Amino acid sequence: MTEWLRARDHKRIGVLYMLSALLFFLAGGMEAMVMRAQLAAPNLKLIGPETYNQIFTMHGTTMIFLVAMPVLTGFGVYLTPLMIGANEMALPRLGAISFWLQFVGGVLLYFSFAIGTAPDAGWFSYAPLTEKAFSPGPGLDYWAIALLMIAAASIGSAINLIVTVAMERAPGMTMRLVPMFAWTTLVTSIMIVFALPALAASLVMLLSDRLLHARFFDAAQGGAPLLWQHYFWIFGHPEVYILVLPAFGMISEIIPVFSRKPIFGYPFVATSTVAIAFLSYGVWVHHMFAVALGRNFLAVFAAASMLIAVPTGMKIFSWIATMWGGAIQFTTAMLFAVAFLLEFTVGGLSGVAFAAVPVDWQVTDTYFVVAHIHYVLVGGTVFALLAAVHYWFPKFSGRLLDEKMGRWSFWLIVLGFNTAFFVQHFLGMLGMRRRVYTYPDIAWFGALNLISTVGAGILVFGIFIFLCNVAMSLLFGAKAGEDPWNAWTLEWAAASPPSLQNFAQTPEVRSRRPLWDLKHPEAPDWGQP
Amino acid sequence: MRRAELGMAMFLISEGVFFFLLILACTYFRALPRLYAPYGWILTGLLLASSASMWRKWRWPTIALGTVFLVGLVGTPFALLTAVHGLFVFAGIVALAVAPASGGRAISFYWYFFTAVWLIIFGVAGQI
Repeated sequence: MTEWLRARDHKRIGVLYMLSALLFFLAGGMEAMVMRAQLAAPNLKLIGPETYNQIFTMHGTTMIFLVAMPVLTGFGVYLTPLMIGANEMALPRLGAISFWLQFVGGVLLYFSFAIGTAPDAGWFSYAPLTEKAFSPGPGLDYWAIALLMIAAASIGSAINLIVTVAMERAPGMTMRLVPMFAWTTLVTSIMIVFALPALAASLVMLLSDRLLHARFFDAAQGGAPLLWQHYFWIFGHPEVYILVLPAFGMISEIIPVFSRKPIFGYPFVATSTVAIAFLSYGVWVHHMFAVALGRNFLAVFAAASMLIAVPTGMKIFSWIATMWGGAIQFTTAMLFAVAFLLEFTVGGLSGVAFAAVPVDWQVTDTYFVVAHIHYVLVGGTVFALLAAVHYWFPKFSGRLLDEKMGRWSFWLIVLGFNTAFFVQHFLGMLGMRRRVYTYPDIAWFGALNLISTVGAGILVFGIFIFLCNVAMSLLFGAKAGEDPWNAWTLEWAAASPPSLQNFAQTPEVRSRRPLWDLKHPEAPDWGQP
Repeated sequence: MRRAELGMAMFLISEGVFFFLLILACTYFRALPRLYAPYGWILTGLLLASSASMWRKWRWPTIALGTVFLVGLVGTPFALLTAVHGLFVFAGIVALAVAPASGGRAISFYWYFFTAVWLIIFGVAGQI
């Protein structure tokens, strides 16, 4: 136990990130189910409006800051050194400090929940709702301090990953040969370095308003509530890509292996990652179209928001082209990867719809937004994570996940997810506001909400089977060996699970598929024209 | 460039964004620090002297000058910018006191950066 508390090895830190994310995922999932139960029928009063406000605030904050970011960091910290042929992270002590700061921040946030003063202003906590006059309890102070800790931790782990990719690569591994997951991890980390300080600055100002009687966001005192929205979304929109780009990297590793083809258009996939990162800093105002900002202002940000679909579309095209003509193996990992393509595309299309200002005005703050964000973050990030767990579990544990249980969980999760969230598009278009604890008995509202709640139940059942599969496979799963998928990147050259020093000898890299080169000395990649 | 120095450079980029946004908001809302005229110059002189000392790799004189700067800062009217900057100077003093000699160059980057941030804060601050 103390070995884990004092761990600096990147694999242990990575596992700690994943376990803490799982813990908070269970909490966030329970909050989601309480909300869906409350909304299952019109005029239900299982919980009161104050409790509902606290639960949706905690659900959003938990899933973004305590689940999605840490689990992606966990994969990055565990896999990046292995993929680039390094034996450790560049700054292992910083890695350990970052994890514990993140975890303590999460515990602090839930401590506020436990003592009955949880934050209640939503995960983006718009001013002036967050001012002392409207939220007098200490819940928002806990929220702001916890998020400051999490922001500092995220910057710490991002710096560690940047330095690792920059300085610890195996001999011969130029940036043109770096595996795509390591590429996306690098770009995401650079985004964190630029984006999270905007959140930190907002939180410092919020705390000074609440605790030191400053007036940044209090219009009555000469402050500007809109400043919070600008600063928060300068962080918040890149944050969406911080949560999605590593998922793109995972998919870019999994699809080629199970299509038995190298990824199509590697330079385009890499450069589109950089393009998405760059553009993501110029689109924050599309979260504020409902604010009167002026037509020219809106036009510029609408165009930028549509533009970002281009590099994203290039990636989708590249993954489809990789599968095209390949000898596809539909393992559970590949099933989740293919489902990711479909589900994320739905979320992407509704995102492009939001870039059209009149559409945004119609559906802003409705369930259409809820459907969109869940298609991006669950259909995108979570499906990619599920693919990644099925793909890399043998490396983490030395054992294979059960494919039969994997398929059951896959179909239940796909069915449950789409049943729960697709109908929310219609609810939004019918005018149902989000963040209301109940609703009147209007035509279709009750039926569509009930369908959504049933879907959420199926989704939970699918996730339960997935977790059972993980637990049972850890104990009884078939031995995996070093390379059960006949893959190509360097992590599969290490033992499963890898030893403390990842590689007995430093590997030399001459192509993007170093293991292929080793297995096929008669036709290595570097020998191709 | 070594690992610690690259890591510090990344950290200072993030701090640059943080202070840029904070100074921008404070300037817009005129929530700027107000310093007594000679006092502000003395504090600035102390921090510049500490940076010169850092340049010469004098660890303890740098710590002493930084500490005197912090003590002097306590005597100024409270302002968010000077308080946050002071916290980072305090962290720098602690790092200087405990860090091994091998980390000296990375910490010197940190020290110069926060001296530069102070010069900007001093530049926008009001005078009493």
